[in-house]
Amino acid sequence: MTCQCQIIPDDVLKRLARDKTIPDAERKALLDTAAVGAEIRKLRDQAASLSRLTMAMALDPVSVPPAPAITVNDCHHGQVLPGTPIAKPDSSSDKSVKGAFNETKAVADFYQSIFGRNSIDGQGMTLGSSVHYGRNYNNAFWNGSRMAYGDGDGNLFVDFTGSTDVIAHELTHGVTQYSLQLDYADEAGGLNESLSDCFGSMFRQWRAKQDVHAADWLIGKEIMGPGARAKGFICLRDMADPGAKHCLAPQPATYGKIKPGMDPHYSSGVPNLAFCNIAKSIGGNSWEVAGRIWYQAMTAFKPSPHMRMRTFANRTRSLAKKMFAADRSVFMAVNDGWKSVGL
Amino acid sequence: MDGSPLDCSGTVTAERNASVILKIERLGGIAGFGGPNLKSEGEYALADLSAADQERVEALFAGRTKSRSRPPADGFRYRITRSSNGAVQSVEVPEDLVPQPLIASVKDSLR
Repeated sequence: MTCQCQIIPDDVLKRLARDKTIPDAERKALLDTAAVGAEIRKLRDQAASLSRLTMAMALDPVSVPPAPAITVNDCHHGQVLPGTPIAKPDSSSDKSVKGAFNETKAVADFYQSIFGRNSIDGQGMTLGSSVHYGRNYNNAFWNGSRMAYGDGDGNLFVDFTGSTDVIAHELTHGVTQYSLQLDYADEAGGLNESLSDCFGSMFRQWRAKQDVHAADWLIGKEIMGPGARAKGFICLRDMADPGAKHCLAPQPATYGKIKPGMDPHYSSGVPNLAFCNIAKSIGGNSWEVAGRIWYQAMTAFKPSPHMRMRTFANRTRSLAKKMFAADRSVFMAVNDGWKSVGL
Repeated sequence: MDGSPLDCSGTVTAERNASVILKIERLGGIAGFGGPNLKSEGEYALADLSAADQERVEALFAGRTKSRSRPPADGFRYRITRSSNGAVQSVEVPEDLVPQPLIASVKDSLR
């Protein structure tokens, strides 16, 4: 999907188009919308069918670029994606445009140099970002094919391209989509969100050349606006202390406190804390040992849309043993880290 | 609401909608709206929406509307609640299905 369209069922569109109390021009537009929608559905079905076929045949693309192209579009405060293409985003005077370009490129470098991954799909997929999405829009999201960033309302939040971990968080949703394919609800949703926070935080640490003890483990520190800061909120989440009062979205820290139907941005606190504890226990740079285990757990197995947190925890335990067979302290750190959150 | 929002001509029954107030709550997003510290709420009279948007809302409550693809990661969801004659009904849907005036009606704030 490349636009945030409002979808009305065809039967409703056609019924409205027959309603003579509605102006002719609007009735024609309704019929046109129904016709376009039908064609889009055909295209989507064909694309899905083609994807299934090529994945089943394990076909490699004809040509894979060595590194992904990075593009930035400007939504001009509208909510239609992708927005207007920016010709030279790397030299733009617009801070959001330039920031989205530079940090997206850096995230691609991070995944390539640390984990050997070529873009989010592993095949050099172009990384597209849309900035200035919506008016006073307090959010950033991954829509399945590109990132979108709001400017914030200037009070609770400021420009969502301002936090490097937020950019890596959104891109990692893309990596998850092309690997574990986790759902966005229940425990799988919490894992999905946690993977984005873990790799977002690792990227922020890598960018700042911080080891696990120098890192603050905060998520979204730079997007907090003056109104939120005035109330003592310095971040969205704190991976080292999920329930802290300085978090705008305080999270549970133990598995037993996760409730059915809990928003993934809250249940993610449990695996977030486990990762942080494990990385701190191992020491050094988070991306060198704990990060490699997490990356393998995410990308080296078949998709598991409904994965439970305990399954993921046990997978990282097995990987720690296998990948670092000569150093039992790594397994011990992983095992203890998960135990510390009740898993 | 009786679950049969359309009359035989396909138009929404105006007099029935006149008293219906929609309560809108924005949820989720990367910041976790709807949690202990962050809320986003608004209200809108159903009758103040255009005929097409009233149809969209009726379709949401009737479960006839589906998103074109899976909801975006970190995307907003909206809980829409309607009250009429003492009956209360809620639906929770992704942002791409919500009429723009309802999205514009919510205000983000700290609790």
